[in-house]
Parts: sequence; C-alpha cells; structure tokens
Amino acid sequence: MQLAPLLETRGLHFHFGKRPILHDVNLRVEPGSIYGFLGPNGAGKSTTMRLLLGLLRPGAGSVHLFGHDMARHRVTLLNRVGALIENPSLYDHLTGRENVEATRRLRGVAAHRTAEVLELVGLADNAHRPAREYSLGMRQRLGLAIALLSNPDLLLLDEPTNGLDPNGIIEMRELLRRLRQEHGKTIVVSSHLINEIEKVATHVGVIQEGRLVFQGSLPDLQRLQTGRARLVLETEDADTCRNLLPRLLAGATVAGAGTLWLPWLSREHTAELAAALTAAGQPLYGLRLEQPSLEDTFLHLTEVKADLVQ
Amino acid sequence: MDATLPPASPILPDFAALPQAPAPVTQLGRTLAADVLKLRRTAALRLTLFSGALPVLLTFCIFFFKGHLIMKAGGDPWPRFISTAWQTAGTLLLPLFVVLLTSLVVNIETKATAWKHLYAQPVGRGAVFVSKLLLVLALNAGALLLFVGLLLGAGALLGLLRPGQGFQTYSIPFGTVGWMLLRTYLATLGLLAVQYIVSLFWRSFVVPVGVGMGAVVATFALLQWEHVSKIPYAAPFLTAMSMQVSKAGVLEAAPEVARHEWYALASFGAVLVAGYLVLYRRNVTN
Repeated sequence: MQLAPLLETRGLHFHFGKRPILHDVNLRVEPGSIYGFLGPNGAGKSTTMRLLLGLLRPGAGSVHLFGHDMARHRVTLLNRVGALIENPSLYDHLTGRENVEATRRLRGVAAHRTAEVLELVGLADNAHRPAREYSLGMRQRLGLAIALLSNPDLLLLDEPTNGLDPNGIIEMRELLRRLRQEHGKTIVVSSHLINEIEKVATHVGVIQEGRLVFQGSLPDLQRLQTGRARLVLETEDADTCRNLLPRLLAGATVAGAGTLWLPWLSREHTAELAAALTAAGQPLYGLRLEQPSLEDTFLHLTEVKADLVQ
Repeated sequence: MDATLPPASPILPDFAALPQAPAPVTQLGRTLAADVLKLRRTAALRLTLFSGALPVLLTFCIFFFKGHLIMKAGGDPWPRFISTAWQTAGTLLLPLFVVLLTSLVVNIETKATAWKHLYAQPVGRGAVFVSKLLLVLALNAGALLLFVGLLLGAGALLGLLRPGQGFQTYSIPFGTVGWMLLRTYLATLGLLAVQYIVSLFWRSFVVPVGVGMGAVVATFALLQWEHVSKIPYAAPFLTAMSMQVSKAGVLEAAPEVARHEWYALASFGAVLVAGYLVLYRRNVTN
C-alpha cells in the first residue's frame, strides 16, 4: 500500500548566489518510516534539512509537511516537528535543564515534559550542570531531548551521531528505533556513513552533488547491488588469459598480474569460463563471487551520479 | 512496504487537519519568557547592573572626598551633584553602554549558534525580533532607573556622612530628574535601534561593537556640525549637556522633549521598520 507522504519536496532547487546547491530534489518520506538521508559531505544534506524547516527559501519548488505547504503554514507545521540541525544549539551559560526549559517556554509545552525528555535521553542526573561542562555526546543527547520536547510527529536529525563514541552511536540507534516503533514517529536522519544508516533506516535517499541519485526502501537499495556482483579470477598471467579467451573475458579488467575482475553474468557463464580456461592450458588458482557491500553501492552511487531515482 | 521490515506503528498522525497557529501575542509571550530565562548569568545582565552603578560611584567619591571644595559657596548641593553624575553617565558611558548591551543580548543566540534552532521553532520571525527588542529596551530602562535610584540614594547617604554639604537640608528636584530620565531614555532609542539591526544583520559580537564605538567617536568629532542633532549617537550627549545649573544654583532642564530627542525617536521607528524588512526574508545560514 502506498501511503501519502508525510514529508514531500516537489522540484526543490536552491542556490547560494550564483552557486547551485540543489537540483530538482523530490523527497518522499512515508509516515512511520526512518528515512536515512545519505550523501558525502557537501552534497547538500544540511541545505536540504534547512529548506525542510523553512530556514532557507527555495529558489524553486516547494516543501510539503503533513500534506500542507511549508511556505504558507510554517509556524503551524513546525509545531509538529522536532529538529536537530548540525551541532546542537546550546547556551553554555545555562544548565542542561535550563537549556531544555528555554525551548519548552518558547514552544508553550507543558512543564512536566522537561523532566521527561531529560530522563528519556539519560541526562536527568547531569541536568543541573552547565552545558559548557558537557561532553560532545552529552551535548548531542541534550539537543535530541530538546527536539523531542513537543512530542513531535516528525523528527529531523542532521548527523545526530556526530561526535558520539561507539556506545553512544548504538544508544542513539536504539532510541531512534524505539521512537519509531513505540511512539509512531517519522524520522529523517542524515548521515555520510552508510553503515550507520543501514542498521536503523527503513528507507534511504542518496544525494550527490545536489541531486537525488537514489530513493527507495532499504531492500530496494540492497537489490540494486546484486546486479553489481563481481567475479574474481586468479590465474598465472591475466593478460594471456584475456588474449586467449576474448569472448568470455570481454568485460574483464586486469586488477593485478594474475587477477581479473569481471561482472558476474550467470552460473553457466562461470562454469563455461572455468572449463575454457583449463582447456586453454591456463592454471586456475581461484574463482569466486564478490558481493559489493552497501558501502560499495553507496560509493558507486555517489561517484557516477547514475540517474536511478525511482 | 517490504515484508522484512517491522510493521510501522499504527499510531500514525492524523495530518489532514491543520490546527490553528498560536496567536501572535501568544508567540511573543512565549519567546519573551524564553529570552528572559536565557539572560541568567549573562554578561548583558551584569553590564546593566554595573553601568547603572559606575557613574554614581564616581560622583559619590568626588563629593565624598572633595565636596567641601565644590560646595564652598554653600547652597543646595543637589543640582551640582545630579548634573555632575548625569554628564559623566550621559556623554560617553550611556552610548557605549547601549552599544555593548545590544550586542551582548543578540550575541546570546549567536554564541550558541542558536539562530537556526530559534527559527525552526513554531514562533514567527516577528516574535523573535520584537521579543529581543523589548528585552533590550527593558534592560536599558532598568539601567537608567538603577542609575537614578542609586544617585538619589548616594546623595542621601552623603547627607548622613557629610552633613556639611547640606544634602539633608535641601529637597531633591524630583520634577527635573523625572523629565531628564524620560528624555535621556528617548535619546538612547535611535542608536539602540541602529545597533540592534547591525547586531542582527552581522550576527557577530565584534562587528556591532566596532560599528558602535566608531560611531560614538565619530559623533564626538562632529559635535560642532549644524546637523549633529540628527545623528542618533549624539542624542544622549545633547540631552545630558542640556541640563544646566543656573547661577542661582537651580537645576535647569527643559520639561519638554527636545528636537534631537524627536529625531532619535523617529530614527528608532524608521530603522526598525527598514531593518525588519531586510531581515525578515533572509536565509538562516548559521
């Protein structure tokens, strides 16, 4: 079943002065999903996040939250959005609790929420300390607590694991999962690391040089890489083999003196290749199938700018 | 959705209905409540307290140690005491105080890189703009009131410690002090608005302080110019200098808003409107 998107951008363009940043970005985030927004640094992730929050004005196109136009109903729509953009905005001269309290007053949220969100991110014991004494991980968690204050339906988190240690990253992941499964939140989380996203996201969007080069569910992304499986062939002399079997080794590249890489086509093709190689008198030291990792797929997507948007 | 994924929670938000945005006054009230909280333990707050007390302390010391020379001829010491303090405060300290105060209040957000956070909250840009402006106006008024309160208190204290100067025998010229308080406050508004917009526009601490100091110094160089009354930075100086002690020893200050104070008020309005129009549509990049 195709759900109406909770967050949608239509033909979003943005440029800083004459420098174009985003080209025709059409995001589609379904309710109840964790949307991993991936891309290398400088690809336009933060700019997109800022556009989603109405911090920047799009050059063309529009942002729709909960089915309504962001440009027309910004204040109303932001009531249901919690966000953490880049490094959290913390007032160092205030305590952790006062930091939460400042945003609580600003949003007109009930007073008991301050203690609740501090508890939720595990900062209740340190809430009396000034924010300037907080570690990077604690600051990130405090930022998340502030984003969760109004119990928002949509959470926008820009690189939330920045500066977290491995334990912190695992805790953050657990928290995001819990927020989705137990509280029905829709979460957009940006990152430049696929390994971080693949463990938690249900959907993925990949951005490269301001263009969305992939968008779909995580299984879709996993399927994309099966077409890119690679056969690795180890022999004595790679060049000789390629000259002897020009048809079977048509798509092969020489990766080393005795190593050939070729795209995996079929089981029959593999068997035929092995037989032909032995028949030609060449030694066959190894023949194996390599599945590219999601990371390879991600790197591939962000290198070739393939037009894979669905 | 793919079968391998855990099912999405059934508690999906109902997003067809668009709730009402909070009323502008509610938004302003909330922003103000947050801004007051953020003022805790800041330099802006300490500066306000300190600036009100400094000129009074200076004048108190002058009269405590050398009052017998100043008041050699006898008579009412209040006019001389008040005008000495007011001219210390109003000529140089007050413009610099307003420059620093405005920059410090705006810097609370800049230092925390909180503009992006602030504008992503469900309050309009107008509420953010007005709330901080009200805060600066209130702190400015607070510092002036503190100055006057301490000044009159210091005079009364001199009446106890140095009865020879006669502070206890003469009454305080409340009417003149009241008018000067109002006029001095009005005189600061023009430069306050300029500094507020400059601080918001550059979102740095150094730029508005530099601009402000430069403008105050430049104004002093231009005091002889016939149009000096139109420069917002000159207004507090002109107001302070307009208070005189007459030959008969009476404190004289016109009980009306002077021309340069009207100019200050006009620049306050014009600069804020123009500044807001420029800032309103701006992208938030930090």
